[in-house]
Amino acid sequence: MQFFFEVLIAGLLSGVMYSLVALGYVLIYKASGVFNFAQGAMVFFAALTAVGLHDLGLSLWLSVPLTMVAMIVLGLATERIVLRPLVAQAEITLFMATIGLTFFIEGLAQAIWGASVRGLELGIADVPLEWLLDVVGMAISQFDLIAAGIAAALVAALAIFFSKTKIGRALRAVADDHQAALSVGIPLHHIWGVVWAVAGFVALVAGLLWGARNGVQFALTFVALKALPVLILGGFTSVPGAIVGGLIIGASEKLAEVYVPSLLQRLFDTQMNLGGIEGWFPYVLALLFLLVRPEGLFGERIIRRI
Amino acid sequence: MDKRIGEVILSFQNISLSFGGVKALTSIGFDVREHEIRAIIGPNGAGKSSMLNVINGVYHPQEGEIVFRGKTRRNMNTYESAKSGIARTFQNIALFKGMSVLDNIMTGRNLKMRSNFLLDAIYWGPAQREEIAHRKKVEEVIDFLEIQHIRKTPVGRLPYGLQKRVELGRALAAEPSILLLDEPMAGMNVEEKQDMCRFILDVNDQLGTTIVLIEHDMGVVMDISDRVVVLDYGKKIADGTPDEVRANQDVIDAYLGVAH
Amino acid sequence: MSVANALLEEPRLDTFPRLLLHHARVRGERPATREKDLGIWQTWTWSQQAEEVRALACGLAELGFKRGDHLAIIGDNRPRLYWAMAAAQALGGVPVPLYQDAVAAEMAFVLQDAEIRFAIVEDQEQVDKMLEVMGQCPALSHILYDDTRGLRHYIQTELQSLDEVMEMGRIHDRERPEFLDGEIARGEPGDISVMLYTSGTTGRPKGVCQTHFSFITAAKSGCEFDHLGPQDSILSYLPMAWVGDHLFSYAQATVAGFTINCPESGDTVITDLREIGPTYYFAPPRVFENLLTTVMIRMEDASAVKRGMFEYFMAVARRCGAEILDGKPGVSAIDRLLYGLGNILIYGPLRNVLGMSRIRVAYTAGAAIGPDLFRFYRSIGINLKQLYGSTETCAAVCLQPDGEIKFDSVGKPAPGVEVKIAGNGEVLVRGQMLLREYYKLPADTAEAIDSEGYFHTGDAGFFDEDGHLKIIDRAKDVGKTESGALFAPNYIENKLKFFSFIKEAVAFGQGRPMVCAFINIDMGAVGNWAERRNISYSGYTDLAQKPEVYELIRGCIEKANAELAEDPVLSGSQVHRFLILHKELDPDDDELTRTRKVRRGFVAEKYAVLIAALYSGKASQFIETQVKFEDGRSGMVSAELLIMDARIFPAQKKAA
Ligand SMILES: Nc1ncnc2c1ncn2[C@@H]1O[C@H](COP(=O)(O)OP(=O)(O)OP(=O)(O)O)[C@@H](O)[C@H]1O
Ligand SMILES: [Mg+2]
Repeated sequence: MQFFFEVLIAGLLSGVMYSLVALGYVLIYKASGVFNFAQGAMVFFAALTAVGLHDLGLSLWLSVPLTMVAMIVLGLATERIVLRPLVAQAEITLFMATIGLTFFIEGLAQAIWGASVRGLELGIADVPLEWLLDVVGMAISQFDLIAAGIAAALVAALAIFFSKTKIGRALRAVADDHQAALSVGIPLHHIWGVVWAVAGFVALVAGLLWGARNGVQFALTFVALKALPVLILGGFTSVPGAIVGGLIIGASEKLAEVYVPSLLQRLFDTQMNLGGIEGWFPYVLALLFLLVRPEGLFGERIIRRI
Repeated sequence: MDKRIGEVILSFQNISLSFGGVKALTSIGFDVREHEIRAIIGPNGAGKSSMLNVINGVYHPQEGEIVFRGKTRRNMNTYESAKSGIARTFQNIALFKGMSVLDNIMTGRNLKMRSNFLLDAIYWGPAQREEIAHRKKVEEVIDFLEIQHIRKTPVGRLPYGLQKRVELGRALAAEPSILLLDEPMAGMNVEEKQDMCRFILDVNDQLGTTIVLIEHDMGVVMDISDRVVVLDYGKKIADGTPDEVRANQDVIDAYLGVAH
Repeated sequence: MSVANALLEEPRLDTFPRLLLHHARVRGERPATREKDLGIWQTWTWSQQAEEVRALACGLAELGFKRGDHLAIIGDNRPRLYWAMAAAQALGGVPVPLYQDAVAAEMAFVLQDAEIRFAIVEDQEQVDKMLEVMGQCPALSHILYDDTRGLRHYIQTELQSLDEVMEMGRIHDRERPEFLDGEIARGEPGDISVMLYTSGTTGRPKGVCQTHFSFITAAKSGCEFDHLGPQDSILSYLPMAWVGDHLFSYAQATVAGFTINCPESGDTVITDLREIGPTYYFAPPRVFENLLTTVMIRMEDASAVKRGMFEYFMAVARRCGAEILDGKPGVSAIDRLLYGLGNILIYGPLRNVLGMSRIRVAYTAGAAIGPDLFRFYRSIGINLKQLYGSTETCAAVCLQPDGEIKFDSVGKPAPGVEVKIAGNGEVLVRGQMLLREYYKLPADTAEAIDSEGYFHTGDAGFFDEDGHLKIIDRAKDVGKTESGALFAPNYIENKLKFFSFIKEAVAFGQGRPMVCAFINIDMGAVGNWAERRNISYSGYTDLAQKPEVYELIRGCIEKANAELAEDPVLSGSQVHRFLILHKELDPDDDELTRTRKVRRGFVAEKYAVLIAALYSGKASQFIETQVKFEDGRSGMVSAELLIMDARIFPAQKKAA
């Protein structure tokens, strides 16, 4: 039982980080109806830039803020150069544009910083917490806990930002009805700019955390793809959905990894090696979920008028 | 009535607008004076909403010019027109459905708020104080429209008549000098219409707001407007006081459906 | 000794203005009045309130308001309208609150009868009514309004805003502060403090003149009875013209020094209630009924788990809730545990939704309350009690003492009140809270108060073995059916009205072979019921005539019959036949009073064909009726009404 909880908690903690990546998608999708395929590339770009600057001899305290500036610039530039000219185009056009953007950003990152795997040291050790081990006898990684804490704080801050501030209100307004938002003088482009910048910032935090954990390498973009099942579960337009979806995916993939192989082996009476379940389980889960509730846990039911 | 109707603040010359082959507006010209209630009427598809959309820059006419506060221009721009004091409501209610009544009306204050976006997020104290000041103005609007009881209700859950009222509230929160209303009373029952009429007249009277109004209910139009312009198939067929318009033969024909 | 008592023992705290000044002195910084305005609760302390009243009084004096003058007060519960009462009293005048939703013509009568010269009204709506009746009320020379909205272009010289008048008053008071103090000092406890018009179930309204002495006595005894003090607070949302509001929101608040809270508007009462969380609450049964109906409708829409929990714990509450509230012994430990759990899961949240989390004492009066309704509130831990009284008795004849609650009685006589039952069953009352007179109606006064000083209430009732008064009905309504069985129409109607599906009922049976009834269904509850069964309908008239709805109502009536059959005295009152009316009874059509009591005689006359059909055994009857719509237009409603029989139960012999 204790082992089960250990796995569950580890899963939930990495789930928080999935939520963080998914949040980047939700923000942009909500505000502008664009599914930003390049979010994963942005995570990669952010991590690589931060590490690259750090490797150049800058301290983390300097390289992270610099990267932040770079990400905001990247976000604003994307909105200005790629999306604004495409305003009022079909959703699929915009989607294709973001695919193009993905390759561009990935290429740009590697052109500047090279393609080798780099380590990122944030100064938090990935070791079990001593006192937790003593008190309840569970091995919970210190790094996971702190990373989850940072991610949770960011999510909370964003939630407050969007529910309490004027920009947040404007963003929700834009998400609801462009025309009406324009008529009350909400400048759409500003809002989009802000959203892209925020998405860039979220990508930076995600990139740092994931990069420190798995190393900064091209594979980071695949982590971002894990956000897809999260989105399918939580709904593309829901911030709480992204959070809950992330937790479910994180927990279930870890549990599946541990328990499913032995289950399958017993079921089919084979000795086949069934590793790597973590890799595909979330997608299967999402697929099943898609059949039951296509709009996601928290998403709005979309009724298309014909 | 001591309503002092002022100078012309908005006028149109030769406005033509077409969508592909459809001519929505053909050489329309008329003007709007300060503090007046100016109605646009006409049968379905006459081009009334298109005209309103030209006024606040949603549509850009292919021909003609617009003189607004003495400045001549080809077309308006949505953001700028909002900035220069034009607020509007839509024929098909365009509220932010997921947000509360209060938040919806708060968005109407958007342009009155400090413009620097990022400072807003960081300067918590001043931003909060500003929020409170605007909230006060919004509460006045809520009080004016008598919708205190639905303050916190998500707009999507309200009945149609109340949604129209909230939409008016959002426009009023901007303290506009010109208010464009596209069929504010459509789909309302008699009592709701009376309330809406009262609100429109009060706004015009107490705040001196100029109102451009599209409405199908002739009784209401003739009652409350100062001047009426009549469109039919994208052309202007009459313009004048309610009495003049009522007596106009073209108008009578248009409404009785005489063939062209 | 309670605060109220101590207070009255100080010399000369015997008129309302003196009480006000007293509070301003001893608890000047405590809140006296709150009002929600522009989304925020504004507070006036007792000393601020005293200042406002002074300004208002001096302003009125400047305009020529004199001792003995009557001041009409018309509007929703607004602080300034309450202050206007105190201001009029300070000058030795008499406030006359009117029902604010009455139409102009109805107001004209009172304005003439009370020879009103001054009226303080809330807003444009009321100003318009005053202007409309000015021709009929030549004396009316000053109309002062609180809310200036929409009145900018009114040019009538009679009109003035309260702001202006109070500004004038402030200057006046600054220059001659001794003037108002002198006027207040001249007041006597025996002066008339208020004139409340009875809503007139029969005949025209009568002005009931009450003195400072009688209202202060009544208020004081109530405050002592329930230990009310300055820490308490109440939501003032009932019509100011109603004796209940005058007693609770004005007299008791001024005697005990507690806080009154004025809601933002009539539509926001529930929200405001929740925000304020008053400790003291007063509502006629109708309000409690509506609240319960809302709860029930919400529960029907709730998830199965929630509904199951609700039903389970409500059953627990029915079993032991009231006993626990009364602190009675004999509740098992298991029930106590379950009730405790229910309190956390259901009752507490429910009280919160109802805005009654902090209620210490809640009263209901004005009409009989259904025993089950009453039991519901008590069982979820709300100390709801009944009181009995009328305009003529300052609403203070009997009260239910804590711990001695009977669901079907109105309690014991209040301190200092004598109650006896006349030969014909009528309840007679004597005490200091009696009216001085009906205004300008000496004959009516003489008829109502007999030579021994007893006031004839017009209600029929009796004392039970514990000395609790039970009211059955209006004395003149209680009758006999053809067979000589007792027929108490209100009693039957109240029984029926407790069903959430039945909004209004009118029973007939006086001198008839059997009891029959008209029913008004509750549009909210029945509509919801129908929607869940996929019964579509186009409006009230259509819904009312659905056979399914008839069956539903028949079920209710038969349940009521079964209960009536248990009481040997009332078993002859079972409802044999009924019909559902095609329109809702409406005060605008004169079918109900403004306090929503049925005008039985009027209804019987208006729907004579329907009564004939009920007794002739017909299965249906056509009817066409004129109705007034809310916008003042009128139109016709017609329908073929079904008539249905209900099951009758044999009378049960009660084991003595
Ligand atoms: N965005 C658009 N694209 C294509 N055609 C349009 C567009 N907007 C309006 N039209 C056309 O222009 C004409 C005028 O439309 P408009 O909505 O202005 O009429 P209206 O007078 O407001 O009618 P209604 O009383 O039905 O609201 C119609 O033929 C309409 O189909
Ligand atoms: Mg239109």
